Amino acid sequence: MTRRPVDTGSPDRLYTVTGGRSHTADTTVFDLVTLVVSECDPTPGMQSEHVRILTLCRHPAAVVEIAAELRMPITVVRILLEDLLAAGRITARRPRAAAAAADLPESALLKEVLHGLRNL
Amino acid sequence: MTLPVAARPRRAPERRPPWAVSAAGLAVAAAAGGTAVALAPDAARSWVLGAVVAGGLCVVALVVTAAVLAGRLAAARSAAHREQAALHERISRSTGDTAHLVNVTLPQMVQRLRDGSDAYDALASAQRPADPQLESVLRIFTTELAEAARRTAAAEAARDDAVHQLGQGVADLERLSATALPAAVATLRRGASADTVLAALDMPGEGRLRVLLEQMVRELGVSERRAAAAQAASAKALGRVQARAVSMLADLRDMQDRHGADVFSDLLRLDHSTSQLGLLTDRLAILMGGRASRAWNKPIVMESILRGAVGRIADFRRVRLHSASTVAIAGFAAEGVMHLLAELMDNAANFSPPIDEVHVYVEERSAGIVVTIEDSGLRMSDAAMRRAVEAVSGKSTDLATLQGTRLGLAVVGILAAKYGISVNYRPSSRGGTGVVVLLPPQLLAQQRGPVPVTGRTLERPRTTQGSGQTATAVLEAPAPAALPAPAPDDRPALPPLPSRAAGAEGSDDAARAATPGGLPVRPPGRTMAAADRGRPAPEAADEPATPPARNPGASFGAFHQSQRRKDPRPPA
Repeated sequence: MTRRPVDTGSPDRLYTVTGGRSHTADTTVFDLVTLVVSECDPTPGMQSEHVRILTLCRHPAAVVEIAAELRMPITVVRILLEDLLAAGRITARRPRAAAAAADLPESALLKEVLHGLRNL
Repeated sequence: MTLPVAARPRRAPERRPPWAVSAAGLAVAAAAGGTAVALAPDAARSWVLGAVVAGGLCVVALVVTAAVLAGRLAAARSAAHREQAALHERISRSTGDTAHLVNVTLPQMVQRLRDGSDAYDALASAQRPADPQLESVLRIFTTELAEAARRTAAAEAARDDAVHQLGQGVADLERLSATALPAAVATLRRGASADTVLAALDMPGEGRLRVLLEQMVRELGVSERRAAAAQAASAKALGRVQARAVSMLADLRDMQDRHGADVFSDLLRLDHSTSQLGLLTDRLAILMGGRASRAWNKPIVMESILRGAVGRIADFRRVRLHSASTVAIAGFAAEGVMHLLAELMDNAANFSPPIDEVHVYVEERSAGIVVTIEDSGLRMSDAAMRRAVEAVSGKSTDLATLQGTRLGLAVVGILAAKYGISVNYRPSSRGGTGVVVLLPPQLLAQQRGPVPVTGRTLERPRTTQGSGQTATAVLEAPAPAALPAPAPDDRPALPPLPSRAAGAEGSDDAARAATPGGLPVRPPGRTMAAADRGRPAPEAADEPATPPARNPGASFGAFHQSQRRKDPRPPA
């Protein structure tokens, strides 16, 4: 009998990570680009994914980034983030794209700057 | 006994001799005739004389006759006396003979015959009685006695023979049951063929016992072979099912990454079903002497162990895990521990009300890791508790002790015995039953660094792109994050091909696969060939494809290369 190759993956199945849940209660809270910031440090006894999210989000991080770091599907990360949000350990903030666009300088001004730079 | 002596012969009465009487009579008659003649007248004297003479003659004749008769009578009497005496003598001799026969000869004969001499010899040497009838009696007696003695001897010989045979048979039976059969059964269990066992067996002398033993050994051999074949066949078939289930799980994980939220819940449900299927097949495979479906080559932290265990049971939502432990179980034992905990959790969930929760606590103690699984179901009866304790003790791992479909605890017993895990039952403070599992320290991974070297080196081959990022991620968080992110277009083939391991990796990884002396190191779970492929590529390139004919230059080159191989970091 040939020896089977060993498993290099993880024994965790995703439904055990989410506790059996497969979707978030409120799908509007976390967008793909919602910025997440941790509000407290991880405490012992927490789920390891929560610990990693809190560590990652000491600086604001988007949901997709967290998902990429955790190597988990977005749906699972949303469920985890929802748990943390409900416990008050993180805050979520939508990037205000419209406001950011309004704050940008005028394109004419930019053209002038560009022109001035070329003339240097 | 003595016979009475013959009667004394009667003595003849004393009598006067007959001739005296006759002479007296004759004298009296002569006197009377003389008297008559004297007294007679003369005239008549002559007549008287005549008459007297005549009378005298008559008397004389009478007397003579009487005397003759008396003589004859006396002769007859003496003859009778003689005969009587002879008869007496014969009787006395006969009595003596009889007495001799009875008192001397017969006991002698009995003694001789008992001593084993032949009847004819005994007869020849014995003093024969004169009486033919007694002799006949003696002969008949002797013959019969000899016959009887012969029969007795034959019977005794037969009896001795029978007793001997019986004793031998009993001894054979005892040896058979005490040593021969157990030894034969033990040898058969070890997989020897019936003929081998029979050849090595100390066969009893009794033919029927030998036949019996041979038949038994052959039948037992057939049964053992049948059992072993059934076990091997089922283990093999289960191995295929296990491999299929594992690849299904990998595919499902892949799909969970690739597909969106719309099918995610369905995928999770499928995943759960497949995991339960894995538990069932692993249970059977372990019972059949096979392997678990998965084998981990890196330490698995306790949280993942618990999650991996709980994910395999149907009611995993009812199980609450309380673990703050950061210890990891060594890779070789991780799957066994997971399966053991899954079986115990499955039991706890199945035998408690469907609304109650099952709590799992993990404590770190100096004796190892204590995992407590408590349910709040019905308290187990004493008999059930005893059976459960007996089953999980792992003392009897024979399939013959299995009861019906309750296989889980038997598997727990097998795994506990294999890894030295102690499993104890006790009443739970929550009202149900508590199971205390003590994982001994030798099952725990040594925590020298974040991740042992083997786990990291083997992690790399899975990621062909961006391996540096993977390595940092693994370094930051050991086990749970070890699952690499598969690229959408590069579906990771399960099982991952170890042959792909070496080529794309740098010399660092390759150098780690060899000792400083240049010998290849086989990482756990890889074949030697795969490990050898993982060694520095330049060596393989420098090796001549076909060995040239032996010449001094080639020998020197080989020596030079062997020196170069000692360099742990050969030029790439």
